[in-house]
Amino acid sequence: MDDLVTHVCDLAKRRGVDFADVRAVQRHGESILVQDGRADKLATSSDRGIGVRVLVGRAWGFASADSLQRRRAEACVDDAIALAKASEAFVTDPARLAAIEAVEAQDRVEPEVPPGAMPVAEKIDRLLAWEHAGRAAASDGRNIVNSIISYAQGWHEETLANTAGTLLESSGSRAVATALFVATDGEILQRGTEHRGIVGGAELLRRIEPEAFSVRAAQKALAALDAGPAPAGRFTVLFHPSITGLLVHEALGHNAEADAVWAGESILEGRLGEEIASPAVSVYDDSTLPGHFGSFAYDSEGTPGRRRPIIEEGRLVAYLHSLETAAKFDAAPTGSARAESYDCRPLVRMSNTFLEPAGTDTGVPLAEMMRGIDRGIYLEDGHWGYVFVQKGQFICHAGQAHMIEDGQVGEPLRDVSISSLTLDVLQHIDAVGDDFEMKMPGMCGKDGQSAPTDCGGPHVRVRDVVVGGQHTL
Amino acid sequence: MTNEELNYLDLARACVDRAMAAGAEWCDVAAGTARDISVTVEKSGIKSADAGRGEDVAIRAFVRGGMGYAAVTGRDRQAIDDAVDRAVALATEATADPDFRRLPPPQPAPEVEGIFDDAVAGLSVAQVVAIAVANIEAARDMEADVNLSGEVALAVGRGALASSTGVALESRATEVSAHLSALLRRGDDAGYFYEFDFGRNLADCRLETVAVGAVEGARRFLGAKRIASGRRTLVLGPLAAYGFLGHLVAAAGAESIQRGRSFFCGKEGERVADACLTLVDDGLVPRGVRSGAHDGEGTARHPLTVIQEGRLAHLLHNAYTAGKAGTESTGHGTHTGGISPTNLRPALGDRPADDLLAEVDDGIYLESGEIRPDPASGDISASIDFGFLVAGGERVHPVESAMLGGNVFDLLGRLDAVSSDARTEPGILMPTLRIRDVQIAGSE
Repeated sequence: MDDLVTHVCDLAKRRGVDFADVRAVQRHGESILVQDGRADKLATSSDRGIGVRVLVGRAWGFASADSLQRRRAEACVDDAIALAKASEAFVTDPARLAAIEAVEAQDRVEPEVPPGAMPVAEKIDRLLAWEHAGRAAASDGRNIVNSIISYAQGWHEETLANTAGTLLESSGSRAVATALFVATDGEILQRGTEHRGIVGGAELLRRIEPEAFSVRAAQKALAALDAGPAPAGRFTVLFHPSITGLLVHEALGHNAEADAVWAGESILEGRLGEEIASPAVSVYDDSTLPGHFGSFAYDSEGTPGRRRPIIEEGRLVAYLHSLETAAKFDAAPTGSARAESYDCRPLVRMSNTFLEPAGTDTGVPLAEMMRGIDRGIYLEDGHWGYVFVQKGQFICHAGQAHMIEDGQVGEPLRDVSISSLTLDVLQHIDAVGDDFEMKMPGMCGKDGQSAPTDCGGPHVRVRDVVVGGQHTL
Repeated sequence: MTNEELNYLDLARACVDRAMAAGAEWCDVAAGTARDISVTVEKSGIKSADAGRGEDVAIRAFVRGGMGYAAVTGRDRQAIDDAVDRAVALATEATADPDFRRLPPPQPAPEVEGIFDDAVAGLSVAQVVAIAVANIEAARDMEADVNLSGEVALAVGRGALASSTGVALESRATEVSAHLSALLRRGDDAGYFYEFDFGRNLADCRLETVAVGAVEGARRFLGAKRIASGRRTLVLGPLAAYGFLGHLVAAAGAESIQRGRSFFCGKEGERVADACLTLVDDGLVPRGVRSGAHDGEGTARHPLTVIQEGRLAHLLHNAYTAGKAGTESTGHGTHTGGISPTNLRPALGDRPADDLLAEVDDGIYLESGEIRPDPASGDISASIDFGFLVAGGERVHPVESAMLGGNVFDLLGRLDAVSSDARTEPGILMPTLRIRDVQIAGSE
């Protein structure tokens, strides 16, 4: 694909664009779904194509085609230029780009198990074994009524060239596995889930131990049968690391994406250097962590990934940048521009985002955090969240929870959501643990695109969080 | 050969033949092409203009009931043949499934008027940009400092479906939309709202004035205040009600019920809501955004009453779940094997939304927001994203940091009114709902 993208870049130059980048992508995916003892949905997908982004004067144009044929790729150049020219007269915020350090590199991340090396039958057998182990957790008249184990793997090859001289070849693979069990006591239904995801391939199937995966998911579903509905109102809340991860991703991370800040939509606009969080809070986004689901070596504009500070000791120190937002903020690109595939423009995205654990000298142990709570809620098993960056309002959903009474873990609670304002909750963190966990692989959505991410942190304690329960105490 | 010249029905039939020759016992293939244009608005200006074009072929093969599925983009014939072979190979590896009965046979499909619009298909990039610019100007005329963002977009597609049972269908469709949000900042206060319009026909839309609704909404949501916790009447405006009812209809998909994982398990024919609720799913509404003559498996669509005066009357079936249940598919199958609702049309009540609100002494009016029951337990724990405190029948002020909680059956049982008026989008009806005695969590 090198020749193709180089040719298309040269063509764009000859057409007189101010800047162009070209991404040629080939992707393959496979998925296996095991349900109720049967592998009954096996799927594959493959796609390839080219995306051409041009800057003409003040305006961007972007065109894509599902082909790697030279003729189609050349047509994309003309289409993209026409698109830019059609909108240029109405652009009020002219596009700019930071100085680009041209990269010529190959970034190939080979999975331990190469694509196709593990037979489909072996994968099915492993998934069936996990499912069987999970179902065996049921007892005492409590039944698993439905179980779904899914595995999916995707691998890609991508070649990027731009008119500044970058030529970057990359390839890699990601794999995910999910276990979902639904349990009943004859009256109610409850679900339990577990997710795993890696940068890698079918080695994930060999790494997963059923006790920590499918059995745990089944046990969550069974345990939830004994849980009562959560109370409603404002509580001091103890966040499990998975909830901490959701918090820093949803509540903070999306607000720190510089495209949202530049667009005037983020509540963090104009707050660089300000103390926006408790001094115990430091948050980073790091795409260089080996094996984590959000990791990558170069972003979709060819900027190397890195560890990016967002908050240090409570102070907002930086945003996440693309080439364009870096220019507009007079900052350095942070390697945060990611595109889902050839037919998408790069957007500013997170990678692996986490709240830094406190040091052993300042960290508050979990038991001590709990001792400080007369009546509160311990939220576990982070599931999902979303945010309105314009309002700084977010929601996080926990799959499990417990009451905290007089500093002790109390009654189990069903799944429940919390909501708050970002700047409130960051200020209301009054204890940060010295533990750490980042096991929240997932696909983050933004403007119709998905990006693999991870998030996590230590246990933290937060005052005055609104809990969306079903009754008042 | 240009994209417009390829005969997708011939391609789909050829793929079916290849799959059957390779050992598939049943097979269907969807093939088609789509192109799209989108213009992005940011910071009350044009950010970029994008265009894309693609072709897809998706093959579903069955061996002893096990399903293999392969999807491929582009028109490279070798890649398509490889995908067909992979689908058959995967079906062979899948576990036998005795619950699979058959794929749908050919059947007369009704004509659905207004699915394709030459006016949409003929829109140029400059015209899409002009729609976006009209919105920017309209928004600025209302509030000079408004921050408008969003997208104006169109999609044009055509395709075919062929199967080993003899299904041979061709279709084409258009869709055009504007999704815009307006943000107003007044000191530390922010008012934000989102508005949209969409349709299959340009004449059904008012795309140039979507921003007006967004700015009006942003004005309404200035001055949000915290509220105390308590039990209150909840009024769901058209957008919030549509989202909530959409989750109900999706939960009536037969697969999740047959598998035992839905809060609707064991409820078929039972009372699940107050008798004021009747919900019809109708995929045949002329010009409807989710209308079509047939579903993704080739089954002819027809209107289906999902909830009849509070009773769960009918489930949504695809070919697999219908075969398992010994009934007929309701025409809600997707080509990937799932089940998907179409146009949602609740039966309207006898009093307008304003009258329903006027009777609320202490309540919350949720203009827009996600009320998503847990698919298994039916528990609800949702943020009041765009809501107002209601007192004495009036919306008093927007609320911040508030949530609502309950169980889906509690809420449906306390539903006491559906409005006689409704927001309409092509094919879709969105009335207002009123629910008594709902737990609200506040932060005051």
